[in-house]
Amino acid sequence: MRFFARSCLVAFMIFVTLAACDNGAEGSRKKGYAAVEELKSERIGVLLGSTHDRYAASHFPQAQIFQYKSPSDMVVAVKSGKVDAAIYSSAELEELMRQQQDIGIIGKSLYSTMLAMGFHKGDDELRTSFNRFLASTRQNGVYDDMSTRWMKTGNHEMPVIPESKPASGTLVVGMVHDMGFPFITVQNNRLVGFNVEMLDRFGVYAGKKIEYVSLDFGSLIAALESRKIDMIGSVISITPERAKSVDFSDPYYEEQAKVFALNKNIAGASSDNDKKSRGNFLTRFLSGTAESFQSNIIQENRWRLILSGLWVTVVISFLSTLFGTVLGGAVCFFRMSNNVLFQSLARSYISVMRGTPVLVVLMLIFYVVFASVNIEPVIVAVFAFGMNFAAYVAEIYRAGIEGIDRGQREAGIAMGFSRAETFRHIILPQTVMRILPVYKGEFISLVKMTSIVGYIAVQDLTKASDIIRSRTFDAFFPIIMVAVLYYLISWTLLLLIGYLEKTINPRIRRRTVPQQA
Amino acid sequence: MIRIEHLSKNFGNLSVLRDISAEIEKGEVISIIGPSGSGKSTFLRCVNLLDRPTSGKISINGVNILDRHTDVARVRQKMNMVFQAFNLFTHLTVLENLTLAPVKLLGRSRQEAERKGHDLLRLIGLGEKSMSYPDELSGGQKQRVAIARCLAMEPEIILFDEPTSALDPTMVSEVLSVIRRLAKEGLTMLIVTHEMDFARDVSTRVFYLDEGTIYEQGTPGEIFDNPCKEKTKAFIRRQQSLYQRLFSADFDLYSLNAEVESFCSRHLVPLKSRHDLTLLIEEVLQLYCASSSSFPIDITVNYSEKTGQLELLLESPPGSANPLELQGEDYALGLSIIGNLLQDRKFTHSENRNILKLYLKNP
Repeated sequence: MRFFARSCLVAFMIFVTLAACDNGAEGSRKKGYAAVEELKSERIGVLLGSTHDRYAASHFPQAQIFQYKSPSDMVVAVKSGKVDAAIYSSAELEELMRQQQDIGIIGKSLYSTMLAMGFHKGDDELRTSFNRFLASTRQNGVYDDMSTRWMKTGNHEMPVIPESKPASGTLVVGMVHDMGFPFITVQNNRLVGFNVEMLDRFGVYAGKKIEYVSLDFGSLIAALESRKIDMIGSVISITPERAKSVDFSDPYYEEQAKVFALNKNIAGASSDNDKKSRGNFLTRFLSGTAESFQSNIIQENRWRLILSGLWVTVVISFLSTLFGTVLGGAVCFFRMSNNVLFQSLARSYISVMRGTPVLVVLMLIFYVVFASVNIEPVIVAVFAFGMNFAAYVAEIYRAGIEGIDRGQREAGIAMGFSRAETFRHIILPQTVMRILPVYKGEFISLVKMTSIVGYIAVQDLTKASDIIRSRTFDAFFPIIMVAVLYYLISWTLLLLIGYLEKTINPRIRRRTVPQQA
Repeated sequence: MIRIEHLSKNFGNLSVLRDISAEIEKGEVISIIGPSGSGKSTFLRCVNLLDRPTSGKISINGVNILDRHTDVARVRQKMNMVFQAFNLFTHLTVLENLTLAPVKLLGRSRQEAERKGHDLLRLIGLGEKSMSYPDELSGGQKQRVAIARCLAMEPEIILFDEPTSALDPTMVSEVLSVIRRLAKEGLTMLIVTHEMDFARDVSTRVFYLDEGTIYEQGTPGEIFDNPCKEKTKAFIRRQQSLYQRLFSADFDLYSLNAEVESFCSRHLVPLKSRHDLTLLIEEVLQLYCASSSSFPIDITVNYSEKTGQLELLLESPPGSANPLELQGEDYALGLSIIGNLLQDRKFTHSENRNILKLYLKNP
């Protein structure tokens, strides 16, 4: 039976992979756009919260606008035909087209924006320091050298930046790590790109150690305002709206907003679709998988990224389970106490925690509760997941304890055990035995829940796959790989709890106790 | 050894126990009997403070256990309890049920506790069940284990709260014989029970609880053979009564019959006796009407569940004659029917009542 279930699972996964590999080859019907205006009532992809987002909303009111959280998601959406076209920035597009031959640009640029670094309102010292630095690079030719290397030639090597003096203090810079070349991306497991080089140089110039924090684009300004970061180093363009909450430096780059689509949908562009390797389905699948494996795991030692993400996921899962289990015990104690105040406190804690999405709690703790405290995001994650877990397990404990008939408790007390001793020796062992199956399920859902920690700048397993996706633009292989890894984590942990269950279940334990008398 | 003074217990507005005082000496075996809802179990649970009394004083070996500074848990170690529902610890083996408290509370070594546990299990005849779990035992076995679990703590007092009420009739005797054995060994015991023969047999004193207090107490002989008070008598005979008053000769016979019928079925009176009773009532009342007795007539039917005896009491105002002494052919058939149904009859005149007592034959 188990074997059958496993086989089904494997078959399902293979099916999904096959379907995935074949995707894109299907694509959508040819459109043949020649100008931007033709997109008026089509499906358009944009980056959530970007200037493109607002532009699309005001200029293409009839179009369906799809907002993506990362450039890689957007590119994959274009490639798989989920949207007909997308708006993106010129520098990134040039780089993208160097790697992906099947996309092209429609028409002329829509408008141009100025990129700048963002600072706290009123933090003029740091801002002017950066402006002076920027001006100096423009004068001594460093800026030209950088822009030639990153933007024009597509050279992805980070140069060695000579350090002049030892760093004093750190500067926390928030950025979207998987923004993509040429500005910011992860290569060989380290951050590289135009912005990274510039900020590294600025660090040397200002005598500070630069510490990069990975954030979502939408969280950048929130993180700055809550002083989680000292400056925004990500690719962010100056808008009057943003200028209300952020002080911008002098612009360091001018970007054009452009529309791109698959070549086959662009009038006059040569489509390389026909060049796709032929051969039968199986060989295509095998070579496709091998290629994906090569690019997503082997290249640039990306398995290291996966491994460290895996470790973070395991650590967060383990610690929040531990914390949640203990906290849940305390909540359950209050919930079951005779004191009305304690009881209602616990009751409201449980209802609030169960009634709000854990993601909201996570962001609330990170951006509001610990707004002005420099706290390790992993700890925040452990707090948030643990608190959520506690609310659920508190009720599980209560059900387990109340399920034990009152008589056994009375028997314990009548024998001369104190209330606490009765609980420890008689109620607790039976409760644990009863609740483990339910607890197990709750635990597994916690492990999977941790996949949202990317929101508060933690690079877990899911985030690692996002980063890989942002480089390879391969939607399917990383996602399936991560699914398999999550399954393996859950499965291993289940085995462990199952073992625990066996050791405390008297029926099974008895077989190991020698018969006496 | 146990001294209870003015013990009262209320649940909310409901007063369950009222001003109970009693003194129990070492080695006494007290049976507590009484109708359901009379507070027997509550009384027992107040003695070891599973239910806290509303007022009063309880001393065990001279220690006032209601005193805030008394370590009640320590007192309870010497005063264990056997429950109606057994309440064995289901996650532990039979042997572990016996060793848990001695190891954790008395600081015995595991080995010593286990040796003692095996001895006790052999004593109650369950030596080979030491490694079983409670849910693998029958009800009688569970209760015997529960008793052994008490004994493992070497208590001076054991409280039994209806130890056989949750058992199949076939298993009652195995538990009772274990308790009998303990009674002989001189343990002080308080037993709430519905097993009257057992209570008569085993106890040194019997408390009859009713109306929230010790309504009557005495030796088993006094309580079971010569109870003084009305309620005790009725309880000991397990007597059930039906009372009806007839105001005139035009009473509603059918409604009376229906009342008698439902009384009989409520108390499982055998079918034969039921028919006899209705027939008797009908015939006797016909004679009353014929003898032009004056009304009202009070009818009481008494049924003893213990002996199966049915008796019919008819009380009429003074001056009226005994209807069974009517002469004449018209009455001969009725009188002979009545005579066949009866085992005994009594007619008494008192100052203000004439009482006719009729005892039906036991089928």
